[in-house]
Amino acid sequence: MSLQLKFVMPSDPRYLPVVRGAIGPLAAAMGWDESDCRAITLALDEAVANIIRHAYHNRADGLIELECRESADGLEVTLLDNGEAPDRTRVCARAIACDQPGGLGTHIIKDVMDTVSYQATPAGNRFVATKRLRKTI
Amino acid sequence: MKISIRDAGTVKIVEIEGDVDLGTSPDLRSALFETLLEAPKLALNLAAIRYIDSSGIATLLEVLQDSQRRNKEFVLFGLSPAVQQVFHLTHVVRIFQVFQTEEEALGSA
Repeated sequence: MSLQLKFVMPSDPRYLPVVRGAIGPLAAAMGWDESDCRAITLALDEAVANIIRHAYHNRADGLIELECRESADGLEVTLLDNGEAPDRTRVCARAIACDQPGGLGTHIIKDVMDTVSYQATPAGNRFVATKRLRKTI
Repeated sequence: MKISIRDAGTVKIVEIEGDVDLGTSPDLRSALFETLLEAPKLALNLAAIRYIDSSGIATLLEVLQDSQRRNKEFVLFGLSPAVQQVFHLTHVVRIFQVFQTEEEALGSA
């Protein structure tokens, strides 16, 4: 039976440690090493933090649904929210390796995960990211 | 997250313990901006940080820019492998003055 995890939480940053506490061990159980587990945890923490900041504008009363699922070749993560839709022109708009403080999170997500997509759906904003598990023989 | 501040000569050393994320980085930002006003040099000890995200890195970049505007020095030391990984992922590792030990950080002026 494949590993999976699903929960709904308020858009409150105090829940970010809860997200991290769930994702890291789940990634480890799926087979990633410590460094990859940290990177995956960071990327998904950033994705949730982006929803809190940009979709809900730091309001703590929104809802975020997080689902992680073990796929045939790795991990698929889906986040759903009902806040403001992301402005795609601002996703990864920041140049890397510059000293400006904003826009780092989306670069982390893109660098760590293999695929990332944002969609506006009738159920809300849908963020889907996948990462393949490269098994060594 | 816990923040403590001590003096080493004219240098202010700020030590952080715990997680720096979207929820806690505003407190770190306030502490660093206030402390920077009190000394010509601020050294930040990151050894006891378990986790830092992009909001924490953004805070450090803001403090660095403020220190440069004020002609002061802002240095980092004690980065764990986990923190170093975030610095590499955010491509900021070359932007900061980073030292392994407090002694090296204090002697950098």
